[in-house]
Amino acid sequence: MGKREENLEPSGSVATQPRPPTSLVMVNAINKRFGGVRALRDVNLEVRAGEVHALLGENGAGKSTLIKILSGVHAYDSGAIEIAGRPVLFDSPAKSREAGIAVVYQDLSLVESLSVADNLLLGREPLGHFGFVRKRELMAQASAFLAQLGIPLDIKATVGSLPFAYRQMTEIAKALMGEVRLLILDEPTSSLTTDEVRILFDAIGKVTRRGVGVIYVTHRLNEVFEISQRVTVLRDGANAGTFATADTDMRRLVNAIVGSDRLAPAAVRAEAQATRSFEPSPVLSLSNVSNDRLHAVDLSVLKGEIHGLAGLIGSGRTEVLETVFGLRPVESGTFEIEGRRWLAKSPADAIDQGVALVPEDRHVQGLVLDHSIERNVSLSRLPYFSRWGWMQQRAATRRAETAIGRLAVKAQGASSLVRTLSGGNQQKVVFGKWNDPRPRVLLLDEPTVGVDVGAREEIYGVIRQAVRGGTGVLVVSSDLVELIELCDRISVVVDGRVVRTLMRGEIEDAEELHHLLQLLQASSQSASKDALQELPA
Amino acid sequence: MTELTAPNVVAPPTPSDRRRKLLQNLLRGERPYMLYIAFVILLVVFSLSSPWFLSVDNFLNIGRQTTLVSIIAVGMTFVIIARQIDLSVASTLALSGMAAALAMSQINNSWVVGTVAGLGTGALVGLLNGILTTQLSIPSFLVTLGTLSMARGLAMMVTNTKPVIITNETYFAIFGEGTLLGIPVPIAWTLAAMIVGILLLHYNVFGRRIYAVGGNPTAALYSGINTKWVTTAAFVLTGTLAGLAALVLSARSHAARPDVVQGMELDVIAAVILGGCSLFGGRGYILGTLFGSLIIGTLNNGLVLLGVSSPLQLVIKGAIIVAAVAFTKR
Repeated sequence: MGKREENLEPSGSVATQPRPPTSLVMVNAINKRFGGVRALRDVNLEVRAGEVHALLGENGAGKSTLIKILSGVHAYDSGAIEIAGRPVLFDSPAKSREAGIAVVYQDLSLVESLSVADNLLLGREPLGHFGFVRKRELMAQASAFLAQLGIPLDIKATVGSLPFAYRQMTEIAKALMGEVRLLILDEPTSSLTTDEVRILFDAIGKVTRRGVGVIYVTHRLNEVFEISQRVTVLRDGANAGTFATADTDMRRLVNAIVGSDRLAPAAVRAEAQATRSFEPSPVLSLSNVSNDRLHAVDLSVLKGEIHGLAGLIGSGRTEVLETVFGLRPVESGTFEIEGRRWLAKSPADAIDQGVALVPEDRHVQGLVLDHSIERNVSLSRLPYFSRWGWMQQRAATRRAETAIGRLAVKAQGASSLVRTLSGGNQQKVVFGKWNDPRPRVLLLDEPTVGVDVGAREEIYGVIRQAVRGGTGVLVVSSDLVELIELCDRISVVVDGRVVRTLMRGEIEDAEELHHLLQLLQASSQSASKDALQELPA
Repeated sequence: MTELTAPNVVAPPTPSDRRRKLLQNLLRGERPYMLYIAFVILLVVFSLSSPWFLSVDNFLNIGRQTTLVSIIAVGMTFVIIARQIDLSVASTLALSGMAAALAMSQINNSWVVGTVAGLGTGALVGLLNGILTTQLSIPSFLVTLGTLSMARGLAMMVTNTKPVIITNETYFAIFGEGTLLGIPVPIAWTLAAMIVGILLLHYNVFGRRIYAVGGNPTAALYSGINTKWVTTAAFVLTGTLAGLAALVLSARSHAARPDVVQGMELDVIAAVILGGCSLFGGRGYILGTLFGSLIIGTLNNGLVLLGVSSPLQLVIKGAIIVAAVAFTKR
């Protein structure tokens, strides 16, 4: 145990020194390329001892890349990193760990079948004769360590049986074993309940009091104001500003995150809008739909409408699509498709009704990567190619070739393996699955993630073409600019509820939408907090 | 939007690209050419080293010896492409044989009854495997490890381990001893199973579903495929073919015995994997399976003709299987 106290001493002593805040980690002008893509351009970041430093940015802004560089997973092309004034060079995660950087990722790295104590000391168990683990000493070390951190965890509890927040705290405690100066938390609250967030914030407070610097990556701006002292925003791989949290407000942060240059000019939007109109008859409507993740969702998609679902990660927006597509059982509520009641018990049911889904993760849910384009696009329409069970190969190939042509998929032919295509072209193949016959309802989950700009515009074209034919589109996206550009109406989802539906024109730009999302999220959180406080009374 | 489209450039393949592609195809391509080459090499080696090897009689012999493995391997190809495994096939064969022989001895000594009982028993075991695997989400390795033991135990229980004699001449002629267009019926049944397998897997919509379920079960589900039903059907097919193999075996030996073909599931799986199926699902060919099973049969036959001791035969066979899979995997 004494050994560990020595280990923790240096980080503890930093906070007790009465000097002005010193920089713990300095990232200077880091550049990083992946192939032709510049992921980071002259990025700077300074984290002080004992500080919670929020790192913000949209998906693809470079946050993950920066974290992976700090944790030694990626090498950088140019620039320098200093820790406590000394230059360091990481060529492996082990080197980064040695320098005192610990990362807690979203997907946890604990062994669920072992206890908290076993997990904390995994790989450094106190050993007795013949390599037997000294169980009592292990328990004592673990509980002493947790007491020192002030994290209330039952060391005997099996990790798999703990609520998510406690697992996360175990993870953080584990990351802090040994000499840690900088703790990186990557979206730690995305799957936590409001109460659990509180517990986590307490634990973070205890850690920073020991002088550890924390980089806190999040999408939830209200948390930034609650926990961080400073904020750095990345946009398109470059710095978009560093602010002292006390001196800034949500509007300025949102402006930095979204950037004004990416907002589509009003004229372009008006033009896209003018070319189509939609009938006021709903092609899909949900009323009062509830299940394990949704609470009394009311929603309607009109014929020829693009309807957006906005919400933070974990808000239930993907679950809305999954429920419509028959992937999640429904507990109560009704569905109508073109005015008729129906309920999809499986994706096959939904497809029969003319519902189509372009799922969030095309590699896992959308495509069989080792199969040809033709096989992939035929898969969802096999009944059309079956004559008494026999595969109408020529018709399938013809349809695949038509889809390749219409969607401008860059491939050598219908027999090319999907694995060999670029991300954008793979996504077009997923769209091609539903190309013909035209679906009545097209569900899109993050349709342009991991797709380059050119292909993104092409995909927008495909979506607009679909609604011109009378399809109703329900689209989930984290990219608010995308939602604003595409959608006729946008519904905001918070905690499995549709809390607000906005008409086009009601919201001016992505910045305003971002602001509104944060506001609705925060008010829902405080509402549930109030409800909890009222309970005992 | 169109002006934003990047020019549609696909680099034409250079000659060296094409050569590399050809080589890749030969070694581990979609169609397992390497397998055919290996088979030919095997034939040449054995022909040169044994005067008895290269004869029509011996080839018919090999054909007959590989019948059971080949028939069941057709079904196993479906199961393995669907990312599952069936370890119970040898036990299923034994149980189906007992069921066929007992049904015949009890009911009119009718070959029709025997056939229905044999195939039906196999199909039922397959259905059980399929339902347990898909409805209870137990890995098929464990499910079929269980049914391997249960089916064998049942086969032994029904007669207290005694064989059941079969006396129906028509049954012998149809499944064991007759000829069809000069081909011994066991080989004819093998060819029939192969043809049905090829039609189902490569020309039927069912085959598309099998490949998709094995290639990516989630994507198959999201494309509206009833993955549980498709997986179950593959097990039922394999069980039924194990039943057919049981008919062939019992007709040839004029009796059903509960302790036959123990461990044959390994030969069946080896044949399918040798034939180019990926154990990770989504890839495989019936024709490959045929050659895989022929290679195993030829090895058995050739090594006997060369006078290799049977323990050493096992070692050589195992080593060749591992080497072949190492070469063809990707």
